[in-house]
Amino acid sequence: MSNLRQTLYHALLWLISLLFFSPVAWLMLSSFKGRNDILAVPAKLVFTPTLDNYVQLFERNGFLQQLLNSFIMSVAAVIVAVVVSFLAAFCFSRFKPKGTDFLMFLLLSVRMLPGTAVILPVYLMYVAFGWKDSHAALTLFYAMFSIPFSVWILKGFIDGVSLRFDETGLVNGASWWHVIFRVVLPQVRPGLIAAFIFNMIFVWNEFLFDYIIGGRKTANVPVALATGAYADGGVDWAFVSTLSTVYLLPPIIAIYVFQRYLLVGMTFGTVRGEV
Amino acid sequence: MQSNRSGSPASRGLLAAMHPTGQAGLTARFFALLNDRRFLPLMLLTPVLVFFIIWNTIPLLWLLGLSFQKYSLTSGDDPAFTGFANYLEILGNSSVWQDLSRTFVWVFLSVVLQTGLGVALGFLFWGSHKLPGRRIALTLLFAPMVLTPVATGTFFRLIYDPTFGILNQVIRAIGLPSVDFLGQSSTAFWAVLAVDTWMWTPFLMLMTLAALGSVPKAELEAAEVDQLPWHQRLRLIILHHGKFILMLGVLLRTIDSFKTMDLVLQMTKGGPGSTTNLVALTLYRQSFESFNLGWSSALAVILLLISIAFTSIFIFVLNLKRRGDAA
Amino acid sequence: MTSKLDFMTSSSGLSRRHVLKGAAAAASVAGFGGLSRLALADSPLKGESLHLSILGIAGWVPSSLGVKMSPIFAEYAKQKYGYDVDFSFADAPFSALFQKAATSLATRSQEYNIIISDSQWLGAFAKPKWVVKIDDLLKEQPGLTPEWYSPVISATYQTYPDGSQQLWGLPQEGDVVALYVRKDMLEDPAEKEAFKKKYNKDLPQTFDDFAELTMAEFEKVAEFFTRPDKNLYGTAMQYSREYDFISCFLYPFMWSRGGEIWDPKTAQVHGILNSKVNAEALEQMKHWLKYMPDGALNYGIAEEIDVFTQGKVFSCFQWAAVGPAMIPDALKGKVMVVPPPKHGNGSDAKRVYTFGGQSWVINAFNDENNMQATIDFMRWWYQPDVQLEYAKRGGNPCDKATLSRSDFDDMQPWFRTYKYMLAEGRSRDFWHHPKYAEMLSVQQEAFTSFMTGQTSDPMKVLDYVACKQQSILFEAGTAKEKAPDTCASISL
Repeated sequence: MSNLRQTLYHALLWLISLLFFSPVAWLMLSSFKGRNDILAVPAKLVFTPTLDNYVQLFERNGFLQQLLNSFIMSVAAVIVAVVVSFLAAFCFSRFKPKGTDFLMFLLLSVRMLPGTAVILPVYLMYVAFGWKDSHAALTLFYAMFSIPFSVWILKGFIDGVSLRFDETGLVNGASWWHVIFRVVLPQVRPGLIAAFIFNMIFVWNEFLFDYIIGGRKTANVPVALATGAYADGGVDWAFVSTLSTVYLLPPIIAIYVFQRYLLVGMTFGTVRGEV
Repeated sequence: MQSNRSGSPASRGLLAAMHPTGQAGLTARFFALLNDRRFLPLMLLTPVLVFFIIWNTIPLLWLLGLSFQKYSLTSGDDPAFTGFANYLEILGNSSVWQDLSRTFVWVFLSVVLQTGLGVALGFLFWGSHKLPGRRIALTLLFAPMVLTPVATGTFFRLIYDPTFGILNQVIRAIGLPSVDFLGQSSTAFWAVLAVDTWMWTPFLMLMTLAALGSVPKAELEAAEVDQLPWHQRLRLIILHHGKFILMLGVLLRTIDSFKTMDLVLQMTKGGPGSTTNLVALTLYRQSFESFNLGWSSALAVILLLISIAFTSIFIFVLNLKRRGDAA
Repeated sequence: MTSKLDFMTSSSGLSRRHVLKGAAAAASVAGFGGLSRLALADSPLKGESLHLSILGIAGWVPSSLGVKMSPIFAEYAKQKYGYDVDFSFADAPFSALFQKAATSLATRSQEYNIIISDSQWLGAFAKPKWVVKIDDLLKEQPGLTPEWYSPVISATYQTYPDGSQQLWGLPQEGDVVALYVRKDMLEDPAEKEAFKKKYNKDLPQTFDDFAELTMAEFEKVAEFFTRPDKNLYGTAMQYSREYDFISCFLYPFMWSRGGEIWDPKTAQVHGILNSKVNAEALEQMKHWLKYMPDGALNYGIAEEIDVFTQGKVFSCFQWAAVGPAMIPDALKGKVMVVPPPKHGNGSDAKRVYTFGGQSWVINAFNDENNMQATIDFMRWWYQPDVQLEYAKRGGNPCDKATLSRSDFDDMQPWFRTYKYMLAEGRSRDFWHHPKYAEMLSVQQEAFTSFMTGQTSDPMKVLDYVACKQQSILFEAGTAKEKAPDTCASISL
């Protein structure tokens, strides 16, 4: 490739990235504007930035609690899910119990169910068991939500770990658990991280279930956003943009830091080229 | 010490042979059980099964049971068994059929658009390892996917607004009349579809990149040496290795697209008229606005069956492909 | 522990507590002497520390006022009754408030002790007995509520079923449709002259001018101020599919022209809603779009506030309740709030607009202490000085004492119009039926479908709505008649 062609090619790639990012950039920009600047016509690219929106956001009643809820519930749910999934994936990969294919399909079918269809019986069940508005009950539900895809990813990775490692370990007197956690686990780290990040994105942004089976104590940030978007009768655009910006930062940072794992993870452990 | 021992003399002897004390012997037996090849698979699967039963089987049975009842949360009456009445009502309800067909169009268009664009972008970014700041560029590109859908829906209302929206300001700046994207029945569907595409094209691009990443470099280099034409390289090498991941991406997107709810809820509430009313929204409304729980359960069961049908087709195709891979 | 001690030492409290069983019984706190000097000693809650939670409408001025004033009650309760109480708040947008409340109340939960409910939800709260029946409560708590300004207050904010004597809510915020106009534009001499020249008429200037104005006359004003090249439009109304937005602004077109939406006695909809008058009303409302900005088809409460406060429209048909948001500091003195125009011509011209507003409803699952504190709160809320404070902060009170004050009209820019529209016959509410959500959803879909051109025949739209609502009411056991057979094949 000639230099010019390469430069043009790179310029094109950057252009596409920026194009996709532009609405997000506009949102972030709005978070530094006052209400009148947000609604200004013609739109203001040059304005006096203000941090007022951020100050107000963090002083807002309950916001820190909601942020904490989001954080704790999504991290806990995904950790539980990844551990549980790893064990199951190991079983599927190594022992291939009868009906493995069917079970794998059944698990994936969990992810197919429209949330709006599942939420109804889950809601009634939570009411009957007295689980509504409980952090643990919501977290475990999210874990369930994250299990199917994690099993699929991790099975791919464990399949890629040669059986010889297991055999060597067992022959040398190690227990199965040693093999599982000390021999196989370290080798599928990219898969674990990928499963973690991928499910994290979904749980982090989950709205419907928190809204219906959560409550005052367990409200997460998307719920806070949906309910708090209005102030004094109007849409509080400053709040919407500021909150979204703050909430977007952790996943963006995660994507930046773990980008490679995300790409490798999606190959289901079959990476043979460049990602 | 002696008194602590338990069990029959024979087993005591066996335990004693393994370990000097019974207490430790019990622990050892426990560990032996843990490590027993016969029980291990079940032990490994138990947590998943527990999750599956509590959060999947029970609710689904509940749903199924409810779907044969007349039950409204706000009526104050107890559920009453009505047989297939809810199902019959739904099958004869023309607006449900309209919502369903609209949803199929939605799924088809969003999957085709996002797959087309995502795959194109994936190929475009395939050879981009020398791109300065590639990691940042990709992060920016993936941002739409991780922005909370609630925020996306709300903020795009502002972007689309004919008076204040940036998009219409751009349109006016190039001399065209502004468009009330979300207010007109002719444009609302497409406007929401565009946002959905913006959100999820990066996902399919990610899957494409992963699929391409699973293609062995050596085979590509060999193809280069052999000067294989591009369509053969695509078919024989790239698709051969990558199609499983790609198909999985398409499957996930199909499922999620069928479930689309919060975006529409935030942007249009299904309106104007019923132009953006997807069936998941209908279900949500009937369950949690009108609280017709029996009727909604029946609709939910129908949607589940449709989803399972979707998935089965995909899995069938995937399995064929995988078998093809192995051969 | 404190509660136990209290329980043991106060013998009157003991007997009281035995009486208090369940929600309905909680209302029977016999002879509670909240107003007597002995109140402090008498309160069964003395020394307690309580926590109350209020669920209100997100971003809605009157709801947040109720919330912001609660610390005053806390102080009052401490002094008068000798207990500590603090409040927490949750909120949800209009369209989601009921579902937030219902999903919680269905669990018999005390998550929300007091709920601010839109008036139409009364039926849905009352039917499953989730909320306290207020007429029972009033028997035990005489003098809990003040005299209302007009009988429509009770009909709108308290009664279910319509026309019955059963009360389920307490008025929190009264609300009516008002017309917000830009006074500075009206009074501009250049504008006055130009208008006179163009229409050979004077621009309406005062409250009284507008009180006499008909839609036909107002249309000229709206047309006059519609200047797309300057990005200024004549007026704005709500056409959004969200919640009840378009319905509340379409009903005035129907009612003022003599149309009806149902017969509350027989719950008959078919044959009443789908009338020629109502079809014309739909067409009329669509006709007004030409004086509004492009996005009007999506306008709800919030969008109207945005265009009005940003100076994109000359006038706005909008709820009186959002006065504080419609008239921010930058527009103080530049806005006049007047009665919305009459429909029809000459002496036949009539105005019947829609009631907005919310009620307090009380969670029936509150425990004794919370119930007692809630009743104390209500008793406090309706004291004249509290209602006056509420009015001064921008809320719309419903009690006669406050509304009859000589200085009431000038307290807020919209108060004169609010009071004017409260008068019997000028505003109405619609169904307080448990099937409210379902009936509403059908017509929101159909009406917006007509406004946006998805369906072109207004009669077909009304037939569709009438059929669907008739069968909803019939299935619920309220309507006597089934939907006619012609309904079988109907669709939008």
